[in-house]
Amino acid sequence: MDYVPPTRRLRILLAIIAALLGVLAVRLWQVQVLQGARYLQQSEENRVRDYVITAPRGVIYDRKGRPLVSNRPSFAVAVLPLELRRKDEVLANLSAILDLTVEEIQEKITANRARPFEPVRVRRDVGPRIVTMIEENRLDLPGVIILAEPVRHYLHGSLAAHALGYVGEIDEAELAARREHGYRQGDLIGKAGVERAYESILRGVDGRLRMEVDALGRPLREIARVPAVPGRSIALTLDLDLQRAAAEGLRASGQRSGAVVALDPRTGGILAMESLPSYDPNLFATGISSSDWRRLTTDPLRPMLSRAISTAFEPGSVFKVVTAAAALEEGIVTRTSTFHAPGYFRLGSWVFRDLRAWGTVTFLQGIQHSINVVFYNLGYRLGGERLAAQAKRMGLGELTGIELNGEVAGTIPSPSTKQDLVGEPWYPGDSVNMSIGQGAVTVTPLQVARMMASVANGGTLLRPHLLLYAFERDRAKTWTPPVAQRERIYTTPALAVLREGLQAAAERGTGRASAVKGLTIAGKTGSAENPRGRPHAWFAGYAPVEAPRVVVVAFVEHGYRGGLSAAPIVRRVFEAAFPPPAPPPAPEATP
Amino acid sequence: MNPRALRYLDWVLVASTVALVAGGAVILYSATRTFGDPWSFIRARAMHALAGTVLLVLFAALDYRMLARAWQPLLGLTVLLLAAVDVLGRTAQGAQRWIPLGPFSFQPSEVAKLLLIITLAKHLDGHREITSWRQIIPLLAHAGIPILLIVQQPDLGTAMVLIAIFIAMFFAGGAPLRAIAGMGAAAAAVAPVLWGMLHDYQRKRLIVFIDPGIDPQGAGYALIQSKIAVGSGQLFGKGLLQGTQNLLHFIPEQHTDFIFTVVGEELGFAGAIVMLALFALWLWRAGTTAVAARDRLGMLMAVGVLAMIAFHVFVNIGMTVGLMPITGIPLPFISHGGSALVVMLAATGLLLNIGMRRKRILF
Repeated sequence: MDYVPPTRRLRILLAIIAALLGVLAVRLWQVQVLQGARYLQQSEENRVRDYVITAPRGVIYDRKGRPLVSNRPSFAVAVLPLELRRKDEVLANLSAILDLTVEEIQEKITANRARPFEPVRVRRDVGPRIVTMIEENRLDLPGVIILAEPVRHYLHGSLAAHALGYVGEIDEAELAARREHGYRQGDLIGKAGVERAYESILRGVDGRLRMEVDALGRPLREIARVPAVPGRSIALTLDLDLQRAAAEGLRASGQRSGAVVALDPRTGGILAMESLPSYDPNLFATGISSSDWRRLTTDPLRPMLSRAISTAFEPGSVFKVVTAAAALEEGIVTRTSTFHAPGYFRLGSWVFRDLRAWGTVTFLQGIQHSINVVFYNLGYRLGGERLAAQAKRMGLGELTGIELNGEVAGTIPSPSTKQDLVGEPWYPGDSVNMSIGQGAVTVTPLQVARMMASVANGGTLLRPHLLLYAFERDRAKTWTPPVAQRERIYTTPALAVLREGLQAAAERGTGRASAVKGLTIAGKTGSAENPRGRPHAWFAGYAPVEAPRVVVVAFVEHGYRGGLSAAPIVRRVFEAAFPPPAPPPAPEATP
Repeated sequence: MNPRALRYLDWVLVASTVALVAGGAVILYSATRTFGDPWSFIRARAMHALAGTVLLVLFAALDYRMLARAWQPLLGLTVLLLAAVDVLGRTAQGAQRWIPLGPFSFQPSEVAKLLLIITLAKHLDGHREITSWRQIIPLLAHAGIPILLIVQQPDLGTAMVLIAIFIAMFFAGGAPLRAIAGMGAAAAAVAPVLWGMLHDYQRKRLIVFIDPGIDPQGAGYALIQSKIAVGSGQLFGKGLLQGTQNLLHFIPEQHTDFIFTVVGEELGFAGAIVMLALFALWLWRAGTTAVAARDRLGMLMAVGVLAMIAFHVFVNIGMTVGLMPITGIPLPFISHGGSALVVMLAATGLLLNIGMRRKRILF
């Protein structure tokens, strides 16, 4: 036998094989023992999916418990970014079903980059047709899921839109500020109005659903569930009947823009707040389309702007309430003081005109018929500083402190500020002009309502508010107490004359169109000349005179004459507030 | 077969084979019990094991020297079978690998491994020494033609197994080191050309092997997921039938190429090492058989079988722990797949055959 085994070479082969097996053993030790914990965690992340159960927001009721804003069930289409296999193909399929471009979908996914395990909602509130199409094409859409979620529903469309506000997806800045409160990308948040002001009450606590999924992301088994806690509901001081009357009245004025504010002079609770033109907050509830957004933001009438609080206008003759109050408080006039009203007021070489010549009139007649010359005289004698001080005392030219954002202060000029602002001295003519609410005076309808409320309630400036009560978790109600911002701003005799004059104006004077049968009303009209077009029409009044429960301010932009276009709106609201065998609006209870 | 030969039967090799097949069946059950009928894969496994045992006995009983005598017709058969795949082949996952055979079908590339070992051993046995290119070139052609046929199926994994078998046998057969080094250099030189000939998915597999993060949901997916499954088993595993990644099908091909992930996940490092130890035992016995073989032919055949199993084990397990790129090479005795099991058992029979007919005392 001449065969000699190649022992050396065989040993080399065996040594190589032994070394390879050794490498495997070392590698297994490394992967399983040294890094095992990390891989175990990854295997859990593989297997477990956390879904958010969106908590419904609290319902918003009116003061009589009628729902204004609630929630309705809906379906949203979402993608799980980590499970998007064959991404290009899936997005193309999805784009065809949802009628969105691939880029739009991609953009939403990119925005959510930081949380790849969270579903990204691609389109909210899809119809049953889309849900069915997605379920039927499930195998061609790995990583696409349908989420059930509540959608905000504004039951009365555009009614009270500016007061109620709207919700929208949280933006970068809001997210940065509120991350520690549990907000996440894609969450809805109150963007305006009550939705924004009471976000922390209305927002619920989202629940979590932990599911075991297979490699295709199909949920197989529920592992744990933390139920969603719905947001707390609130009741507003708004009265749906008055709100409707305000909206109808504004529309019936035939003008394109204006505002109505009604409030309870005893508490400051806002009974109605309507701004025209309005918008439908439902558009925002599921993410507003870009065309709707463009339409709303480029409309020259700016429908999203609340004319009740976010724009200040020339008050015109409504300001005569301030002038009258100042003159009475300063003792310049009494109810029977007489004035010569020839139809103009001469100051040096300047002539200030009136509508007509009245002859000799009393101070009360001056209020009743809104006779400019009477107020020119008073303004001239009071001077700008005292007029401005009285206006400020009555809450004009300052924020009212309502809960809503976007409120503006308006301006009350005065000799001391004019020099600073305009760089011109205050001329005596400025005081004359200011006495009838012209010049640089601008106020918001809400300020005027608060001012009228102070006349109606005997001299207390109340903070206007929209929240009547909030439900606690145990359904107990937490009531909003009235907040007096300034008290006793009129002396009793002065107030009595002022009220008498306002009643005369509403019932026998310029405001007759506000009359409601069987109701005593006090009020003041205004036609405010302004540089932008026809005069603005105002009417500010309260009723019943004996024990005022409702203040209404109507403002019609370029409405021409307060008595013609604003007073009828107020009448409608009074009619709603005091229906024939009328139970008046329930007073806000105090605990 | 005479009683003296039976006395030399390598019981350790038999025992390790039985342990691997039996343990493999348990793992296979765990990997496949969620695929509809939980027992269908086990029934198939039992049938294949039975057929494999018959072949094992056959390959053990027939003297390997007789078996090898017909090496040239056998080589012809190998080439014919591989060529037939192109004509008759059934396609699965983009590659033609199966030939229908009555109610069954089989993979000629698996059979080709064993046939190459037998024929190449006989071919090499014809040369006492390998010195000239006149000897080397026919040897290269002998292995090269089946390899090229398999590459164009395409079944790169099996082609690499054949290359490994060839190099090991060539080396053990006394090839000059210069020739082996030259072949290595030639392979390096044609590598760019081969890269161009690869299918896209094959190229992707190699790219993601370097960096699986490039395509975590696509080509890198299996690589990442198999490491997660194996690693998550930690020291003692999640328990047999308890592997979540297995149960929820996070690993593609978990019952074939990636079956080791089930071992790693459910039995942990301990189980993986036990399985590795069984393979080591088996390979040690194969090595012993090669060393103790009575003649050059037996030694070469044993080396071929040794190289085949060792390569399979290293590449398959290495792939699940990120040491090797993804190639469709099954884990011997464990992965689902009848042709492979039958061929591996026949190869075991061949080893027993050589071992029984040794003359000299083991070292």
